[in-house]
Amino acid sequence: MRSPGLFICLLLLAQSLSAQEEANDWGGDEWEDAESSGLLWSGFIEAALGTRWERDQQVGRKQTLGDARIRLETEWTGERLIISFTGDVWYDSYLGELDGELRDLALGFSPGSNWDVKLGRQILTWGTGDLVFLNDLFPKDWVSFFSGRDDEYLKAPSNAFRVTGYSNAINIDLIWMPVFEPDKFLTGERFSFFSPLAGQLIAPDPPLSGIEPNQGIENGEVAIRLFKTLGGNELAVYAYHGYFLQPTALTDTLQATFARLAAIGASARLPLGSGLFNVETVYYASKDDRSGDDPRVPNDQLRLLLGYEQEAITNLTMAFQYYMEWTQDYDALITNSAMPQFEPEEYRHVLTGRVNYRLDQDKVTLSLFVFYSPSDNDYYLRPLLTYRYSDHWSFTGGGNIFGGNKRYTFFNQFEDNSNIYARIRYNY
Amino acid sequence: MTNIRLIILSAVALVLTSASQAEMVTDPDVIVSRANLAAYYAGADGRSEARMIIRDAQGREQRRQFTVLRRDVEDGGDQDFLVVFRQPSDVRGTVFLVKKHVGADDNRWLYLPGLDLVKRISAGDKRTSFVGAHYFYEDISGRAPDEDHHTLIRTTDEFYVLEHTPKDPSSVEFSSYITWIARETYLPMKIEYTNTAGRVYRRVEVVEVKDIGGHPTVTKSRVIDLDGKGETSMEFRYIAYDLGIPETVFTERSLRRPPRDWLKRPAGKK
Repeated sequence: MRSPGLFICLLLLAQSLSAQEEANDWGGDEWEDAESSGLLWSGFIEAALGTRWERDQQVGRKQTLGDARIRLETEWTGERLIISFTGDVWYDSYLGELDGELRDLALGFSPGSNWDVKLGRQILTWGTGDLVFLNDLFPKDWVSFFSGRDDEYLKAPSNAFRVTGYSNAINIDLIWMPVFEPDKFLTGERFSFFSPLAGQLIAPDPPLSGIEPNQGIENGEVAIRLFKTLGGNELAVYAYHGYFLQPTALTDTLQATFARLAAIGASARLPLGSGLFNVETVYYASKDDRSGDDPRVPNDQLRLLLGYEQEAITNLTMAFQYYMEWTQDYDALITNSAMPQFEPEEYRHVLTGRVNYRLDQDKVTLSLFVFYSPSDNDYYLRPLLTYRYSDHWSFTGGGNIFGGNKRYTFFNQFEDNSNIYARIRYNY
Repeated sequence: MTNIRLIILSAVALVLTSASQAEMVTDPDVIVSRANLAAYYAGADGRSEARMIIRDAQGREQRRQFTVLRRDVEDGGDQDFLVVFRQPSDVRGTVFLVKKHVGADDNRWLYLPGLDLVKRISAGDKRTSFVGAHYFYEDISGRAPDEDHHTLIRTTDEFYVLEHTPKDPSSVEFSSYITWIARETYLPMKIEYTNTAGRVYRRVEVVEVKDIGGHPTVTKSRVIDLDGKGETSMEFRYIAYDLGIPETVFTERSLRRPPRDWLKRPAGKK
């Protein structure tokens, strides 16, 4: 870390909080009552460091992560209202700047006995995939994910109106995001990537940015989910109208931008044998290029996911997923592409595997998540070790390891960004 | 007049005496079935706050605090549970929904608020740690009586003492266990687990019982790992039964929006 002083400050702060915590421990007889004790503040302080094996040629840096972070969260519960707040402030030693993120600041209430509303900034998630997203078209933070921040940060917050209705027949989720919120995609600032235009790995400076749609009411995003649980079987259908979350389209002047997207999908999750089976599918309609012959705009795709998870032996869970992207109008894509050699295969197949092992009364978790694509012949490994030393202190170490044999394939383009990281967290 | 009252009183006394003699049960399956009802099915539904102190082999302590809502689908049969965690801070807001099925795998969901993620949990070994404690998942939700063979080994003034052996020894870590079931309340007051070497390695014991709305209820208990790997003590408070908690409380809705009306402390309870 570039600023050991800040790190020491964090440790001292953690220690003083620790001492304060011991004082109001359960030695006495108070039972904390969430309903009556007013605002309860909690959160954590965390230091995180990550590094590549060696300096990346394009980015010109070896470091990938260096955060000193404070999380603050609380919830105010009134008679008819809930106001939730979660915010992070951190010094990012990689960028050399102080950053902040409001992850949740929302108003919750229930108009009528069958409706829940949540208005404001919030994290949104649905779908059945494990680190594979089909119908979840809410923003993701891939920079945090690839650099070894907690998995929680993969989900980026949205400004949204969420209305959920419940009935015996069916439940409905309606989400409106008035302003399009893209992914936090790789820009070249921290990680290099393959550019088909340049025909090589790049780390553009200034970093890649996508031209976002105008902020008008017609350019918002709408996501709908109809869902029902029948016995132990969870069924859902989804629809989305908005934009591709990554700037995968090009303007007339060859600047990166976000193409319009409409999606419709369905999923099911149910017990099968002694494990859990899930299936999910989605059709992405690329609204700016329905015939697929515009090489600057992504084509339509049909995506399919099948998954199975089971406890193999006591405390050891294994999970497998098969995921497929089928690019539509593929002949038109190849015919019109300026760089057909860099286009993905018509069918991109990905297999994922997860092994999770809990030890020492759940204090220690060992996990390995593997992405492997037989069609691209590349992979992405995510080993992880978490040690929850106490209710306050936890230690995490892990890696993001990419490999393959073609420079332009999805995972292998990040090979030189492979990194390992460690985090220390104090929960208060 | 006085004579008549006396006669009635003695008649009542007679009936009561014979009733309590009838309570001298000898069928172990009946005892186990009643113990199961007394320990896990008090009232048609219930609400309780729980806290645990987990001490590991090095004496380090961890704490858990949560509120449990329960609803019986059928007495002695299927049940729904909603567990809302309050402490420690890294699990605050985590909600656990269980649809317990007797004779089949339970359906379990976990809500992680930081990710807004409703995670389904696959059926697993029920004799593994419940949220890091020395209690097993099965200690909390109940072990189905028909998973073991039961033998009444003796009856004392206070207890029925039973030995239980698993029908499927490969599914559990014990070779047998002995329970001391209170004759008056049918609550199992002590359970000792024996391993294949014939040694008692684990003890669950009730420390305090209180009468809550006519139901004798365990309010303090603890489990000790006799191999020196620590112990967990658990306390229940603010307990109430027969609140009329509707079925709809035990659905996905409660994961994202915990049902405050049912989770709040009942007035006047301690």
